[in-house]
Amino acid sequence: MRRDWPDLCGGLALAAVGAGAAGWAIVHYDLGTLRQMGPGFFPAVLGAVLVALGLIVALPALGRAAPAPKLEAGVIVAVLAAILIFGFGLSRLGLAGATAACVLVATVPAPRKGLGWRLLLSVGVCALTVLVFSFGLQMSLPLWPRLP
Amino acid sequence: MTTWEGLLFGLGFALQPEVLIYCLLGVVLGTFVGVLPGVGAMAAISLLLPITFYITPEAALIMLAGVYYGAQYGGAVASILLRLPGTPQSAITTLDGYPMARDGRGGVALFAAMVSSFAGSVFGIVVLVMLASWLSRAATAFGAADYAAMMILGLVAASTIGTARPAKGFAMVTLGLLLGCIGTDVNSGVQRFTFGQTELLDGINLVALAMGLFGVAEIIANVRDPERQTVDQRLGFRSLMPGRDDLRRMGWPTLRGSALGSFFGALPGTGSTLSSFLSYSMESRIARRPERFGKGAVEGVAGPEAANNAAAITAFAPTLTLGIPGDPIMALMLGALVIHGVQPGPMMLEARPEMFWGLVASFGIGNLLLLILNLPLIGIWVAMLRIPFHLLYPAILVFLCLGVYSVRGLGYDIVAVAVIGLAGYLLTLAAFSPALLLLGFVLGPLIETNLRRAFLISRGDPMVFLERPIAAGFVAATGALLLLSLWQAWRRRSDKRA
Repeated sequence: MRRDWPDLCGGLALAAVGAGAAGWAIVHYDLGTLRQMGPGFFPAVLGAVLVALGLIVALPALGRAAPAPKLEAGVIVAVLAAILIFGFGLSRLGLAGATAACVLVATVPAPRKGLGWRLLLSVGVCALTVLVFSFGLQMSLPLWPRLP
Repeated sequence: MTTWEGLLFGLGFALQPEVLIYCLLGVVLGTFVGVLPGVGAMAAISLLLPITFYITPEAALIMLAGVYYGAQYGGAVASILLRLPGTPQSAITTLDGYPMARDGRGGVALFAAMVSSFAGSVFGIVVLVMLASWLSRAATAFGAADYAAMMILGLVAASTIGTARPAKGFAMVTLGLLLGCIGTDVNSGVQRFTFGQTELLDGINLVALAMGLFGVAEIIANVRDPERQTVDQRLGFRSLMPGRDDLRRMGWPTLRGSALGSFFGALPGTGSTLSSFLSYSMESRIARRPERFGKGAVEGVAGPEAANNAAAITAFAPTLTLGIPGDPIMALMLGALVIHGVQPGPMMLEARPEMFWGLVASFGIGNLLLLILNLPLIGIWVAMLRIPFHLLYPAILVFLCLGVYSVRGLGYDIVAVAVIGLAGYLLTLAAFSPALLLLGFVLGPLIETNLRRAFLISRGDPMVFLERPIAAGFVAATGALLLLSLWQAWRRRSDKRA
């Protein structure tokens, strides 16, 4: 099917967010009047505007074709996983452990093959973060993994 | 304080060793990220934001500003030698800079970029000083309706001028405004869109938002970046020296670019990327032999580089004196100041002279440092271009996570970065501008407060926006911009039919 998928999906997603926000604001917050705006007024108006804009972007996209951009699924998964591992692991793995895990996961989609440079890089980044954040900026964080 | 007293006072402040160090650190880091394609000034400033919590707000602003204009110098290097814009502001420099490098005149192109950047900055500083004192006097006449109208003009200008699809720009700004609503409502104390999460009571963390939208999204987009091709040439100090002919050609374009950039930098919603494009199109139009452009005309490097640096500096005038950021980078600067507990406004020059005059003086010092350092160090920056991205991005990722974590010590914010990063990447992929989202996010609470106040004062009468001359002027400009973009859309459609 010849469609401008990025505009279509993006526009519809924005319209959905707008509808959700406006609906939520109208149901849950006081709208007030123009003179005395309640907490719901501004978000409700913005949500409605976003619905309109989303549709303005999405509807014309039905009738034209556009090259679909390349979605780097592997890269997305690796980078997001690395961040989440760091976020959830910081308290348990310690600064050094979380950093090493984060670097190792993040380098999975890198174009260069081999394990050696990945290990070397994770040791290097570990040393750098410990120096800068733990010794330099005196952030109070556990350094090493907590043993059970 | 007169201007001269102010400048002397500022020099005294900015020349203190610890302030000078942060200025130097800022410009060097800025050049570094500017040189590296794939890491922009936005990402660098958001990365450094948390680190500035450990220093005074004045030093923080000086360092972050240094990153911004330092990146403009560095961006030119990548544009000229790689035909890859290191920053969006220097994208236009590729048009004539890269052909010059291919013809073996890369050194001259770099010299032209550096010197005209410096000249543009000096011009911008003079305009900034005049404009700031005028604006802070004029701002006393500003009421809530005027502020709201001006900010709306800024948002409309940012989403229409220089964007291919204004509707997409408006959508991003609106989404940003909506995200700005999240958290406790200042007027009523109601918790909006927090869904019971206490971490959201103060709203989305600005640092997490900026790092997700720019840092994470840029990393994802660049991991599989194809190999970069450098123009291989020896860049000794001597190769930088231009001939008399080049120097003669650089003069006027630099001056015109500086004036253009100073003007557009100070307007809400335009900024330095636009000024560099405008300068290029002006130079190529008034040139006696326009066919030289695109094939290595030194005017096409000098003009835009002067313009984007001048704009980067005058953009601070509305940000500091009115508290209204004109472009996304200024929004980030304003956010940084607010986190430090400094609310810029008309009283800034009086109440915090070290902040304003110190910054002005640091502009001069920083640009001088860039000029002195970068000409001899050009070889080092060129070597930087050869660092593969896969050695850099894991380190950037870790620093980014730690930076976000350090703001509030909450793992929640790191998870938020992952979510925002995914959204930011998808938005960029579908050609929606995350920078406009950030602008809306920072301006959102300001606009809402001022709108509510304006309507309260006028007892709900919307005519207040037309009765006050200042507000009416902004409303008229906003209307004109909207009509212009509608007309352009209509013309595009009829062009297609014809």
